[in-house]
Amino acid sequence: MRWLLRLYPLRWRERYGEEFGAVLASQRASVGLVVDVIGGAIDAHLRPQFQPQGRNSDSNQCQREETMTLAMLQRCSAGGPKLSPSDRRIASRVTILSALGLAIASLVLTKIYRGAPPVQALIYASAPALSIVYGQTAYLRKRPRRTQAFVLGAGISGMYLFMLAVCLVANRL
Amino acid sequence: MKKSDEEVELADFGRFSEPALLILVSLADGARHGYSMTEDIEAIAGVRLGPGTLYGALARLEARGLIEPLKSEDRRNPYRLTTLGERALRARLDSMMAVARTGQRRLASA
Repeated sequence: MRWLLRLYPLRWRERYGEEFGAVLASQRASVGLVVDVIGGAIDAHLRPQFQPQGRNSDSNQCQREETMTLAMLQRCSAGGPKLSPSDRRIASRVTILSALGLAIASLVLTKIYRGAPPVQALIYASAPALSIVYGQTAYLRKRPRRTQAFVLGAGISGMYLFMLAVCLVANRL
Repeated sequence: MKKSDEEVELADFGRFSEPALLILVSLADGARHGYSMTEDIEAIAGVRLGPGTLYGALARLEARGLIEPLKSEDRRNPYRLTTLGERALRARLDSMMAVARTGQRRLASA
């Protein structure tokens, strides 16, 4: 959980980082805790309680890091890093081909197995899976193939298993 | 009713005003470090402050001179109330007690 500290401005971390880390380590990890820490980090950026001491290299480095962190938060809130037209084009093509493949597979499997839960799950998981395909193809394009395959496989498998569980439960109702 | 400077300071904290008050109450009987404050506040008010909220309020209190850090060899830095902090806490508690007394009096006569 200590990685969350990196969201705070450098000057803030220098002042409170150690003791903040000790308090953070003493608390049980939870979504609420993560939200609290992220909220605190945004507050520390937007309403810093410290004034710059001077224009030396340290304070310049602080400012650069703060600008980078703020830019990172802005990118996250805007939906991720900026994509080039080429990234978008390739991701769109892969998504369209995947959609065609999933549509054909769904039709064939429905013809053979009718409304079996695994087939239903495939149909329900198609839309979110396609958004995963688009996102991963676009954002992980420059990553190693193994990373791409792992993230894509894990994302789609997770989505399919979730939908399969939903379908199995729905069929018992 | 005219507010004192100390009350204005605490009211100025926005969403951190309640955590700030709880921190001042926690420090009223002596210096404490962050973890100890979290435990104490949970015991007295039933609220567990997350580290983001705790240090957001601590930074504001320190910046306004209501609390001050003490030297420590440990990485857990203790804090204590300043004279200004003590006055601010006293003023805030007096104001809350006046509101509580009025509320109880009105409930009793209803």
